[in-house]
Amino acid sequence: MAETTTTDSVVIPEPVTTYDDGGRKQPPPEKAADVRRRTLVIVSFWLIVLCLGLPIWWQTTTIYRAKLPLDEMLDWADGRACRPVFPLRISVEANDLQHQEAQNLVRLTQHALDDLNDFAGHHLRLQLASSGRPSETTAETDEDDTSALTIRLVQGDSTASALHPHSPVLDITYPPNSIPTQTSSSSALASYIATQLRSTFAEEQAIISYLLSTTSSFPAEQRPQGLTPEAADALAKRTTRSLRYSPTYHLTFSLFTGGHLPSSWDIEAAVAEFMKPVLDILTPIHNFTIDTQIQLYATPGVQSQVLNKEDLSSFVNAAEWPLSPSIGGAPTVNFIVYIGNQTIGLPTAEQAGSDGATATSQSWLVPQWGTVYLLPLPEDKAHVSASTLKQPLLTFTSHLLSLLGTPQSGSLPLRLSTLSRIRSADLLLRASSTLGSLARLSLALPSISIPSSVADGVSKTMSHLRLACDTLGTPGALYHARVAEEEAERAFFEKSMVGQLYFPDEHKIAVYLPLLGPVGVPLVMGLLNELKAWRKRRREAVDNGKAKKET
Amino acid sequence: MNGGEVTLGRTARLYIGAAVLRLALFTIFPGLPDLLTGRVEVSTPVTSFKRLQEGLFLYNHNVSPYDGGVYHQAPLFLPLFSLLPSSATFPIFTYLLYVAVDLLSADALLKIADSGEAVSSRLFTSPRREKRWSGFVIAAVYLFNPFTIATCLGRSTSVFTTCAILHAISKAIAGAPISAMIALSFASYLSMYPLLLLPPLLLLGYDRRPAADRTSPIAFTSKHVLVVAGIHSALFGMSYLITGSWEFLRSTYGVQLTLSDLTPNVGLWWYFFIEMFDSFRSFFLAVFWLHLSSYVGGLCVRIRTQPLVVLTLLLGIFAIFKPYPSIADVSLFLAMMPLYRHVFPLMRYTFVVAAVVMYATFLGPAFYHLWIYAGSGNANFFYAITLVWGLGLSLMVCDLTFAILRDEWEVERPEMVGKEIRQI
Repeated sequence: MAETTTTDSVVIPEPVTTYDDGGRKQPPPEKAADVRRRTLVIVSFWLIVLCLGLPIWWQTTTIYRAKLPLDEMLDWADGRACRPVFPLRISVEANDLQHQEAQNLVRLTQHALDDLNDFAGHHLRLQLASSGRPSETTAETDEDDTSALTIRLVQGDSTASALHPHSPVLDITYPPNSIPTQTSSSSALASYIATQLRSTFAEEQAIISYLLSTTSSFPAEQRPQGLTPEAADALAKRTTRSLRYSPTYHLTFSLFTGGHLPSSWDIEAAVAEFMKPVLDILTPIHNFTIDTQIQLYATPGVQSQVLNKEDLSSFVNAAEWPLSPSIGGAPTVNFIVYIGNQTIGLPTAEQAGSDGATATSQSWLVPQWGTVYLLPLPEDKAHVSASTLKQPLLTFTSHLLSLLGTPQSGSLPLRLSTLSRIRSADLLLRASSTLGSLARLSLALPSISIPSSVADGVSKTMSHLRLACDTLGTPGALYHARVAEEEAERAFFEKSMVGQLYFPDEHKIAVYLPLLGPVGVPLVMGLLNELKAWRKRRREAVDNGKAKKET
Repeated sequence: MNGGEVTLGRTARLYIGAAVLRLALFTIFPGLPDLLTGRVEVSTPVTSFKRLQEGLFLYNHNVSPYDGGVYHQAPLFLPLFSLLPSSATFPIFTYLLYVAVDLLSADALLKIADSGEAVSSRLFTSPRREKRWSGFVIAAVYLFNPFTIATCLGRSTSVFTTCAILHAISKAIAGAPISAMIALSFASYLSMYPLLLLPPLLLLGYDRRPAADRTSPIAFTSKHVLVVAGIHSALFGMSYLITGSWEFLRSTYGVQLTLSDLTPNVGLWWYFFIEMFDSFRSFFLAVFWLHLSSYVGGLCVRIRTQPLVVLTLLLGIFAIFKPYPSIADVSLFLAMMPLYRHVFPLMRYTFVVAAVVMYATFLGPAFYHLWIYAGSGNANFFYAITLVWGLGLSLMVCDLTFAILRDEWEVERPEMVGKEIRQI
């Protein structure tokens, strides 16, 4: 420590410095010790600023930007990274035919199919089932069987086809003489099969091409042609009606009644009997949780006896009925049974036709929300039995399928496998576009921080997207697409990023200046004054030296 | 100075008087302690007696006292207070403990004052040294200061820190630097900020050593820094044994460093960090702490000749700028102020300072009431009054600094005594 020696000598105050009479205006020159002390004080402040302040400033205000694979992300968003292709394998069983004959038939049918098809993304590929297999096991299609549909050719009287109601099997009977010969280049039976197949998958094809066409980023040549505006309209209507995909849905069954009766219902048994089978079949795609409630003295939003179309939207009394929007994160589907003898004034026949089969005289479907069923009951009935609930629950089941976005034509197994393919395509596209938005966001805002969790999410999304894209058309694709979509959403809505979304650089002045200004001014001025004084002393020292030399 | 015996009798009477006053307030107004405990001016999140009770309850039920995020004080308080009978059933024991701590502080202060270090240090002797108050007066001023009494009644745990700091200073003056270091370690273990007093305290201890021992400043410094580090690690080790984890570090010192509890207090931090953008929070926390600690070096260099002055000024600065200040810190600064009775005539703003501090003292509780209870004011009311309070205190610190420097300067320039000067 620098010893400031002056004071030791001045225990008894006595003038240490003597100065001339001119000193009245001019203070005596500073002592060297004082000058050194002042320098030390200034240095001590600046040391803290430079040694601690600057590193801390650097550490706490640098924006961490994890590296994102922007090009790849944009590739995904623009559809360059993945061509959604659904190769559907269809096995042909023809046990009555010679192998050679069957092969020939398959080849001709494939030709016919290729001629009919105009959309490369959705491709049907026929193959001959290994003849050694007994037909029973193929009928019971197991999960890892990759074929989407089995065609069973059976000899019969005339050409006819029928979809098997419980398994993805298309039964086709043919008259024995219609088998094409080895040399023929076309056959009526082959083109018949091709047309049948095409009509079976027409809806799926239409939906997928609709999905691809709404994702505007896909390059035009990949976009399917031949989607009529009317068909697109109908599909758009259906898509807006169906719920957003979620691995789990919560089903709420509510019984609302205007009076005090009925006060109990046999909903558990009814659900187990009429709805459970369908829910079980849906398990690979969705899980369901169920709760039920009864509400007495519930008044609907509309009191009139005959409900017309406008009343339906206000019938559900959202203010008073305890219908929670969603329980535990999963979206809720509401099924309401309202006890009352109100009826719906059905629109005229042709309107009903265009509206689809959603409105009966007793129930209607609320898009993305659920179903209301009006159940007339005798006044004094206190208990609603399971058999009374049969019709409502069957209605609910079919509405649930359409709320989930299941296609409407074909047998149930086919509809469900189609649903899983549609959903995986949908999720794939949605995750890709989220990736694109994230990439554009990080390009547009260079000052936004990107935590490493976002980079993690992006890389997870991309690996799952790749897997989903490679296995498109199989059940695994749905899983991968689901994970990809979840990760992409989580990365995009990262909390710490959202907060900084609108923080332009100009605001930093407003943050720093009012606080650091008052502290900074004396610091900087002190340093400047000290430097000036130091230079002046140097110059004087040099001058003195010169003067000495000269003398 | 009077004869030793008489002084002793006088001092004893003073202590008894102070103790009786406190106990009388405790008994005559049984609601007063709890009222004061709840006041933000007395209790901060890191010193509140109420929070101590909460921690004590958890501790006695074998739950980590830091669970729940209410208790932010040192773990060693817990065994101390669990030794006492519960303050709910037998409050008298707690009162007696707090009164005793106050008297101990006053005793240390009395020793500091009687040593005369304030007027005549090793390197500097004030020309006005005759005009000073005795230790008795200074202890009396401390003991009967309303801020001190309010702190004692509010049972804020900062009285322990105050006591440890005063004992550290008195031991350093008595020429026992090791004891001083131990006392300082206790103080900084309890409240963390007293660690910043280490450099001036080292200077003070060094100056007060007998000349023969004053050989190597570097050896002196390293030895005593080692002592401080050793005591700290011993205290931390004991705390670890008591609580069973190192969680207490984050809950006590972490809270002071990061200001995670934004309960209003008389300081300047809480309002600022409520308003601060999240992304700049850590930066400005660092700035505020650096600002607080940057004075240490500068003051030690500038007033090297009078280390006790440095300690006093730093205590004043801490009372304004520390993260969770309360009137307890002000009472400590006001306890040290009368040591400089000899420079009071040199102070220029005594009236303004006294008026501003009184104004803030009376309006502070009123504005807090308007904001919290009446609802007719908002947070800005209370923050404005704490700004005034801070302004008054900083004026006081500046004025004292000016007076000390002027006193020092007049030694060099005796012909300027009593003349107006202009600061450039």
